[in-house]
Amino acid sequence: MSGSGTGPTLAHRSVASIRSVPTIQESGTAPHTPPRTISATYGSPATIRADDDFLIIQIGSRLVRAGFAGDNQPKAVLSCGPRDQRRAGDFRDWQQGRGEKPDLRAGEREYEIWRWDLRDVDLGLVYDKLDRLLRDAFGRCLLIDSRPRRAGLVLDSAVPLPVLSTVLDLLFKGFQTPIVSLMSTATMSIVAAGVRSGLVIDMGWAETVVTSVYEYREVKCTRSVRGGRYLNRELYKLLRKILTDKDEDEEGKRAVSFAECEDIMCRLMWCRPLAVKSTQKQPQRQSQQLDTVEEQDESEAEPEQSEHSRHKSVASIPLRSTDPPRTIEVSFDKIADACDDTFFDPSVAPTTFDDEDYPVHLLIYRHLLQLPMDVRAVCMPRIIFTGGCSNILGIKERIMDEVTGIVKRKGWANVSGKHVEESRNSQFSDRRASIARSVSPTATASDIAEEQGSSSRPSSIATQSDLGDPIEAKVARHRPQLTQMQGEFRVLRSLGPWAGASLVSQLKIPAMATVDRELWLQQGVYGASRPNEIDVKAQQRQSMGAGGFIRGSGGHHTNWTLGTWGNV
Amino acid sequence: MAPLTPYTYIQCPCSDQTVYHPGGAASDPEDDDRAFDPKAPRSNYSLYPIEYLLYCEDCQQIRCPRCVTEESVAFYCPNCLFEVPSSNLRSEGNRCTRSCYQCPICIGPLQVGAIQPTTDANLLPTQYQANPSGGPYALFCQYCNWTSTEIGIEFDRPSGIYNQLSKVNNGGQPKLTLRDVKDRRKDNPDEPPVPDDQVDADLQFANLKAFYQQQLSEANTSLRGLPLHDGLGFSSPAALTRIMSLYTGRGHQGRLQQGPADIMREALGTNDGLKVANLDESGDIKKLMDGGWGATASLEQRSQQPTESGRFEDELRPIAYLLRSKRSKRCPSCRHIISKPEAKVVSTRFKIRLVAKSYIPTITIRPLNPTAPPVPITYRPMVQEEAPLKPHQPYHFVVTFKNPLFDNIKVTLASPNKTPGRFSSRVTVLCPQFEVDANTDMWDDALKDDEKDRSRKADEGPEVGKIWEKGRNWVSIVLEVIPASLRLDQQQGNKGEKVDMSPLKEGEDILEIPMFVRMEWEADTQADMDGPPSKDKESREKRELAYWCVLGVGRISQE
Repeated sequence: MSGSGTGPTLAHRSVASIRSVPTIQESGTAPHTPPRTISATYGSPATIRADDDFLIIQIGSRLVRAGFAGDNQPKAVLSCGPRDQRRAGDFRDWQQGRGEKPDLRAGEREYEIWRWDLRDVDLGLVYDKLDRLLRDAFGRCLLIDSRPRRAGLVLDSAVPLPVLSTVLDLLFKGFQTPIVSLMSTATMSIVAAGVRSGLVIDMGWAETVVTSVYEYREVKCTRSVRGGRYLNRELYKLLRKILTDKDEDEEGKRAVSFAECEDIMCRLMWCRPLAVKSTQKQPQRQSQQLDTVEEQDESEAEPEQSEHSRHKSVASIPLRSTDPPRTIEVSFDKIADACDDTFFDPSVAPTTFDDEDYPVHLLIYRHLLQLPMDVRAVCMPRIIFTGGCSNILGIKERIMDEVTGIVKRKGWANVSGKHVEESRNSQFSDRRASIARSVSPTATASDIAEEQGSSSRPSSIATQSDLGDPIEAKVARHRPQLTQMQGEFRVLRSLGPWAGASLVSQLKIPAMATVDRELWLQQGVYGASRPNEIDVKAQQRQSMGAGGFIRGSGGHHTNWTLGTWGNV
Repeated sequence: MAPLTPYTYIQCPCSDQTVYHPGGAASDPEDDDRAFDPKAPRSNYSLYPIEYLLYCEDCQQIRCPRCVTEESVAFYCPNCLFEVPSSNLRSEGNRCTRSCYQCPICIGPLQVGAIQPTTDANLLPTQYQANPSGGPYALFCQYCNWTSTEIGIEFDRPSGIYNQLSKVNNGGQPKLTLRDVKDRRKDNPDEPPVPDDQVDADLQFANLKAFYQQQLSEANTSLRGLPLHDGLGFSSPAALTRIMSLYTGRGHQGRLQQGPADIMREALGTNDGLKVANLDESGDIKKLMDGGWGATASLEQRSQQPTESGRFEDELRPIAYLLRSKRSKRCPSCRHIISKPEAKVVSTRFKIRLVAKSYIPTITIRPLNPTAPPVPITYRPMVQEEAPLKPHQPYHFVVTFKNPLFDNIKVTLASPNKTPGRFSSRVTVLCPQFEVDANTDMWDDALKDDEKDRSRKADEGPEVGKIWEKGRNWVSIVLEVIPASLRLDQQQGNKGEKVDMSPLKEGEDILEIPMFVRMEWEADTQADMDGPPSKDKESREKRELAYWCVLGVGRISQE
């Protein structure tokens, strides 16, 4: 997908812009005739069928989202639990009175569609699960028949090749899809936020993934296992401690069913704000009033009370999967502890973490640290949170506060240790000031260059040639400059990868990796070439025609690629 | 424990073809001999009760829901049974656009009602009535007493709820749409853009879409000037400008700058779809603390919502009914229709329906010596459960094959001696090969004197190699089963093999027997269907059909 947004793909754009005629008038540029379809000259009249349904399918490890391109949200969001994996005609759930006992044995594995560790994944089972899910989505929610439809597949860019090839097999063999475009989640989140570059923090079920995208290209991707699954385990440990007072499950039976535990997680999970921040707010007051407790209570009634009530407030949770059903009291403080342990782990020294389980704030900091400086500057004000765990109340603020705190303390130097700390403390003030002084002018200069380079290339040419034309220079000076935010943190809201893919597909921007059914059936996954070996233009020209693209080209070998997914 | 009556499932032969081999390696030849394991997780996806299966007459093959292609016949709302034309489906979505709503709490149907109880108009003079038209109205759930006033939504009219609801947010605030924003901007252009907290996902999406379309069309026009796409003619002013700039030299470069950039810029403001996230969620945290468990919506309730909703109960909205469709089914290989319902919504009849039950024998299984007393006729839907099977004790089951065809069929059965899985029970089919008579006239059964068959079973037990019972078009045979013990300490693996000592999994105590059924029969050639009738009436064609089925026998007791 990367970069193709800017590629010279006229035909597709012009199809899109037929509909956008009114917006052209609004744009206030010089009058011009509305653009026309060029493909009409080359292709058959069948290109009118470009309006045909284009399906967008997003497959994660827990959820499948499916819908039509152009919609702002998927029509079907389906998960796959044990009760969805039963045989046809098994109506246990609906049999009244016989009250099926909740399944205490099913663990997270039964609720996942696939997992990253492929050693214990039965790909055939993944195929079957996805087949059932997609059939349900298409038949029940999207209400479409089984005519072949083009599809866009939104996937994490690190999905293992066997899983990808299972999914493609399913789409091509099971659903007769003629063509599948592959799109990466991070880039699509960027598109759905309206920017071209940014840092996508995808807090999903299996992992938290931090991806930096620069000009629609994925630059770097770091991961941590601290995600929804980890959090659910922590919460389960907490509940089990309350329920049974033991640290181990008995006979493989869970104390609370997985579904109920997840429900509690989604309902009650919250994250407390950064501790430093709350103490910073009232440092003087504490020092003054430590001995006069009563006074403090009076003067500080409101915030203190809320603080107190927060510590004391208790959620009573009715559990149905225990035998007998009971209601337990869990303090919100404990719940927030589970969240802290999962995503921040403040009790452990930062040096003890493994590469794959960095806490989220460290993960983000290290990611930014390893980026080239200009990419970092562009990414910092374009931080985007997606994924289910980013809905935890207060977690986005906490993460941003933590990261800002680290940056304030350490700057962008990748050294730590006692000596560094000492020397930093001694030289800190003057060094920082000098750095600020020396950096800021260059930064602003590069700012302008950068901005001109990306936002309006002709204007930079103009500034060079302006020298000869004082009037033009004057005009140029008064023209409002587009400023691009750089170097400070800002969080943007994205509509999510599905909506991004829906936008991209509706605007007929072709994906970099487009897989054709016939080629896939002929060659399989090993037929894919590396992304740089293919002729993107040739491929796009072929994919323009709605129907007979490659068949029309006489079937001689055309290169195709799986994009980032094919880099083995 | 869920009750269990003996059952039969049939594996559709199509699942053999979709067996997925990772790495694309060809399957081993001995794989074909492998017995089908009904307990394997994948077999849940290929087993169907016979009622779910269709049959293609031309391909002579069983067709399951996975191996048919579907075509929509009609769309309708399951609540008001109103048929929705397929053109509306694309524009108005997949939900009922009349007044059919489900309760967001309990998914019961909602009804529109006036909020104030309607007083008898005769008793009160009109001037005392608050609202002569009867409003305002709200949606009420008859089951859980939820009303839409709980989320602050009231309606002026009792009809057209869909339109009214789509214009209101929870809490009664009107919903902002792109058109509203545009109108507002047209009225006074200096007004600042909509604050971010008022921009919901719909508006942001609409903004983004407009922004991208504008950017793309601008990029287009600027690209037009490139020589790459010459040949388009010089009719457009953009091309003219380009030519002019060619001749006049760099003087026009300044002008070019005014024109669109050849690269898309990023969104800069709210109108472009940019939205800065609101990080301060302390208000919501406080709401969560105060409301506790009761204020939040469960995952199940949230998954019912057509849009992804927040975690609080007051963020839920009434759910418009999802439309349903009537579908006709075709065989994927020969494209013949094998099932076609009548297009009328209220009709439940089918124009074409080739169910498997009328082409392959129906297999039923029951215990030879039932332990449960028979259910009296008046209690018939009730099912008496058989006692669980005791391990290491032989049980006999009567398996009945009923032939729906008008030709005699020859049935051959094969079943592994030991059922696959951790706890393998011993299975013996006492009569693996037999013939079932044709499905002839019903009265033959009554006229035929089969008293001697019936009397036999009283004194004799089941005998190896012999049919147990026989009727006009059915045959019963006996199956002997010795259930295995479910105790883990009695498990002994082959030497060197690791024994799975994990505790009993769900469904592992159910004794299921895989059985391979092969039927052979001679049928009239299909010549009479297409082409002139064949000269000799005697031309018969040998046919066969083979498939795996699973007999669910019962539950093994756990000592």
